Amino acid sequence: MSNALLPTAQAEHQALPKTTHDEFARQEFVRSYKQYLVKNVHGGNQLAYEQRIRPKFHKENKRDPKDRFEVRDEMINDPHYQMFSALLRTSQEMMWSSCQIPVQRELDSLNKKLNKKRAKPYGSLRLDENLTMPRYHTSVDIHCQPGGYHTEFSQQDASAGMVYDRAVHIYAMGQMGPYNNDIGASIALWLQDTRSEFKPLKILDLGCSVGHSTVPYVDAFPDAEVHGIDVAAPMLRYAHARAEGMRKKIYFSQQNAETLDFEDESFDLIVSHILLHETSDKAIRNIAKECHRLLKKGGIMVHAETPQYKGMKPFDAFMLDWDTRNNNEPFWARSHEIDLVKLSKQAGFDPQKEFETMIPSAFQIAEAKRSHTFQGGDFGGGGSWFIYGNEK
Amino acid sequence: MAKLQRKAKGERPTFFRDPNVDRVVAMVMGLAGEVAVLHDRLDTAERLLEKSTDIKRSDIENYKASAKVSAQRAQWREQFLSEVLRIVEIEQEALANGDIEDYNDAIALVEGNSSDPD
Repeated sequence: MSNALLPTAQAEHQALPKTTHDEFARQEFVRSYKQYLVKNVHGGNQLAYEQRIRPKFHKENKRDPKDRFEVRDEMINDPHYQMFSALLRTSQEMMWSSCQIPVQRELDSLNKKLNKKRAKPYGSLRLDENLTMPRYHTSVDIHCQPGGYHTEFSQQDASAGMVYDRAVHIYAMGQMGPYNNDIGASIALWLQDTRSEFKPLKILDLGCSVGHSTVPYVDAFPDAEVHGIDVAAPMLRYAHARAEGMRKKIYFSQQNAETLDFEDESFDLIVSHILLHETSDKAIRNIAKECHRLLKKGGIMVHAETPQYKGMKPFDAFMLDWDTRNNNEPFWARSHEIDLVKLSKQAGFDPQKEFETMIPSAFQIAEAKRSHTFQGGDFGGGGSWFIYGNEK
Repeated sequence: MAKLQRKAKGERPTFFRDPNVDRVVAMVMGLAGEVAVLHDRLDTAERLLEKSTDIKRSDIENYKASAKVSAQRAQWREQFLSEVLRIVEIEQEALANGDIEDYNDAIALVEGNSSDPD
C-alpha cells in the first residue's frame, strides 16, 4: 500500500488540524531533530561527566559528586552540556512554533468546525467560565507551550488543544502511537493483565487535556462511563471534538482536580497521566485526598509519571531533572522526590496497599522491535512507564 | 483573525556565558529547519516530475508521501542533521576515543622536549 503510514506516524482524525506540504515538512524536521538529539547528542553528557567532570571533581575533593546539585554545579560549565541544552531548548520552541503555524493560518474556521454541535453527541462537554486558574498553572506556560493550556485567543477558542495534539506526537517522536494514547493504553493493559477481576464501571481521568490518554479506557472497558476533567477550556473543547470525531463516549468537564464536584465514592478507577508534576506540593496532596473521597471501596487510583529520583545515580537524577529549570516545569524536581507512601497515607489510603512500579508500554509491546529512545531529561517512549497509586 | 501568543510565559534559560550564543544556536537550527522544508519540496517536485512533466503547485500541495518515501526523508534528515551538527559530534567522538590529550604534548614530542624516547 503506497499510502500506508509508518507505525510512528500520527493518524489523521477529524479534529487534527490539516497542514500544507511545507508546514508538515517543518514539523517532520523538528521530530527528526529531537530524535537526533536523543540518539547522537544526549549520550555525550555522560561522556563529558565521566571523562572531564568527575575526574576533576575527584582530584579536588577526593570523592565523587554526592548528589544532583553537585553534579549540576559542574555540568553547567561543560561546553557539551551547554550545547546540548541550547539545542534541546530550541527543539522544544521549534516544536511549538511549527505546530502553531497551521493553527494560526486557519484559526477562525478551525474553531468554528471544532465547536460545531452534533445532533446526537456521544459524550458531553461542560465548561465553567468562573473557574479560577490555579497559580501553579499560570505562573509560567508549562513545557513552554505559548499561552499554556488555558489561554483563549478568540471566542470559544480551542487552539491550545489543536497545537497540543500535534506537538505531543512530535515530542514523543511518534513513540506514543498514532493516537498519542500510549500512557492510558499501557495502564489499561496493565490493569487487565494484573487485575483481571477488576471491571471498573466509572472511570475518571484527571488533567486529561485533549483526552488522548482518556480514549483508551473507553476501548479497554466498554461497559464503563468515562469522565475527563481539566482546568483548561481550550483543551477540553478540542478534547470533546476529538473524542466525538472518534465516536468515543466521554464526559468532559472543566474542573480543578483539587476540588471536584462529583459525589463521594462515585468512581471505580481514577487515573492521571503525567499530571501531578504540573501542580504543586499543596495541590498534589489535595488531589490525593480527592481521589480517596471519590473512589468506591475497592476502587483504584493510578498516576503515571516519570520515575522518582530516589535510588538514581546523581548524574542520572541531574539529567532527568533537566526540565525543572529548562522546560518550564517548576514542580518537576520536587514532585520526583515526594514520599509517595506518605502522600497516599495522608489522603486516607492504607500504606500497605501502596504500589509503585514500572509498567511496559502498550505501543512498545505492539512494536516490539522499536528502538528504545529516551529524551533529554524527559519521557518520550523509554519503553516503559512509572506508575504509582493505591486501592481504597 | 486573532493572533496566537508566540512566546511561552517564563524566563528563557540561557546556557552559554554570552546569551547571544544561545540565540545564534536557535537561529542556526531555525535555518536548518527551513532548509529541510525546501528539501522536501524539491523532493516532492522531483518525484512528481518523474511521473509527468506537467505538474502544478497544487500537485505538490496534495502530495502524500508513502511510508517508503517518509522513511527515506527521515533518513535524509538524520544525515543532514549529522552534517549541520558535525562540530558537536566531533567533540563526542574525541571523548569516546580518549582523544583529549593536550596539544602541547604533540609539539613537545616533535621539538625533542619530551621524555618520550621517539
